[in-house]
Amino acid sequence: MLDRSTHEDPPPTEAAPDTRQVKFRGAGFVPSAGRRSGWIALLLAIGLWQLAAGAALVNPLFLPPPTAIARAIYQLAISGALWQHLSYSVMRIGLGWMLGTAAGIAVGFAIGLSSLARSVGITFISALFPIPKIALLPLLILWLGIGEEPKIATIALGVFFSTAISVYSGVDSVPRNLIRMAQSFNVPFPIIVRRVIWPGALPSILAGFRITASVALLLVVSAEMIGAEYGIGAFVLQAGNLMQTDQLLAGVVILSLFGLAVGRLINWLETRLLHWR
Amino acid sequence: MRGCVRLALAGLLVLAASGIARADDVLKARIGVLRLSSSAPVFIAQDKGYFRDAGLDIELKFFDAAQPIAVATTSGDIDFGITAFTAGLYNLAGKGTLKVIGGMSREKPGYPLIGYFASNNAYAAGLKTPKDLAGKRVAVTQVGSSFHYSLGLLADKYGFKLGDVKVLPLQSLSNAAAALKGETVDAALLPVSTARTLMDSGSAKFLGWVGDETPWQLGAVFASPRTLVNKPLVTKLLAALARADREYHDVILAAVKDGKVPISETTKPLLEIIAKYTNLPVEQVVGNCAYIDPDGKLDVGNVDNQIKWLQSQGFVDKGFDADAIIAKDFVKPD
Repeated sequence: MLDRSTHEDPPPTEAAPDTRQVKFRGAGFVPSAGRRSGWIALLLAIGLWQLAAGAALVNPLFLPPPTAIARAIYQLAISGALWQHLSYSVMRIGLGWMLGTAAGIAVGFAIGLSSLARSVGITFISALFPIPKIALLPLLILWLGIGEEPKIATIALGVFFSTAISVYSGVDSVPRNLIRMAQSFNVPFPIIVRRVIWPGALPSILAGFRITASVALLLVVSAEMIGAEYGIGAFVLQAGNLMQTDQLLAGVVILSLFGLAVGRLINWLETRLLHWR
Repeated sequence: MRGCVRLALAGLLVLAASGIARADDVLKARIGVLRLSSSAPVFIAQDKGYFRDAGLDIELKFFDAAQPIAVATTSGDIDFGITAFTAGLYNLAGKGTLKVIGGMSREKPGYPLIGYFASNNAYAAGLKTPKDLAGKRVAVTQVGSSFHYSLGLLADKYGFKLGDVKVLPLQSLSNAAAALKGETVDAALLPVSTARTLMDSGSAKFLGWVGDETPWQLGAVFASPRTLVNKPLVTKLLAALARADREYHDVILAAVKDGKVPISETTKPLLEIIAKYTNLPVEQVVGNCAYIDPDGKLDVGNVDNQIKWLQSQGFVDKGFDADAIIAKDFVKPD
């Protein structure tokens, strides 16, 4: 080891004979998303897929080519059914997400700020979070019927737990010395919460939003298992039931485009709300 | 050293030869079935060794829904599938990836299988017979399922429009049962096995059996075109199944009274076989025996009607009929 390092290093300079020069090692670890490379990779993948289908390497039933999926989406759009499905799903996702997020932020802050709420709340969250919502569907039907309520409740439940967890861990990670300083200036409790803890916890709350928005999209398919006539989830389920694989993938593509749009929205929120970072 | 290699090679050759020899006398195949009494002849043929007598080595693969059986047959994970016709199955068959080779369970008067059930409130409000289902909210498992088609047949029989019925797909039997119990739907189509617990606990009212209202060909035996190339295999399998069909018909179905099989010296052995494979107590099997044609015949006319109905509803791709999906060499039409 030692031999090699002396061999590779330039000969020691006259200034400090027992120190050796080292190259700057501090670079890297700052991944930045390029503007184009993501899209190029996506297009390449789609192109390969189309080529594989064109060369009859895969059975179109098992993996319909991108053109068949695009055709299915186009037919859905011109028949007007797409907008009907989308509007129902957006309504369910929107309401469910907002309800779950509001409740999650309230409970998360309570857990982050009060000892009683913390001991009770964390126990309940740990006990209830891992329950698969889909296993509760028959119960939700008994409690709430088969209207919009159980569908919104399924999404709200899924969103609530993740939000509560990310909010209280956000509150926990606010530097205590900032809070202590505010206290030493005799700042009242509500203002500490609003001016110190809220902005301090916001980055992790927004990171939580990114997860819960995806959770809401995942759950819309389960939620629309409950007697839904319209909705992207209902459409995907029906296509699966009827083995119309091109339609099935069309629904999936619409869901993931929706996910991309929501991701963009959260990016925008982050740059607006976290400009101080 | 060289001697060793020669010995090993010789050993391998012997092994390979014996493998070929064994493959000659016993044909291996995998059959996908549901643990339902509507597949009773398969269980009888397997348990009493009819497959073995025909020179077949059959492995039963159990599924929990009809649709995956059709998909697994297409993908080659199983060689034969035995289950109910669904829109998904017809869509696969319409693309040429499946062929129907024989008939299985049927809806027939006197043999309870699928029933119409009303919620207590709807019953009190005047929903007393299947005819009254027009204009009601009815739960089914999936669009294009056997339940949905049964409802369509009922609508045709009583001259109401299916569009007047609000059909609610709830994706699973437990969801449909929960909706009926919770009074959020007026009625549901359920198999007798699911409905019995509801009726016994007084949370649903019986309206009628599909078999009594609109008999139809519910289930079938099907295979992928790859399997059909092996004619001896298919012929032997169908012969073994027909033997079990005949026995099931003569022993069990001939004894059915008021929708139930009396437990006697003759029926008990077969009932126990069905109970073993369906994981049900014998007392529940007796009220749950699907009609199956003694010769394994298929009601081709009804299959064509199913396809036309599903096509008119937009659940099945247009452009094919029953003739296109039936393997004429094997099917005995009714």
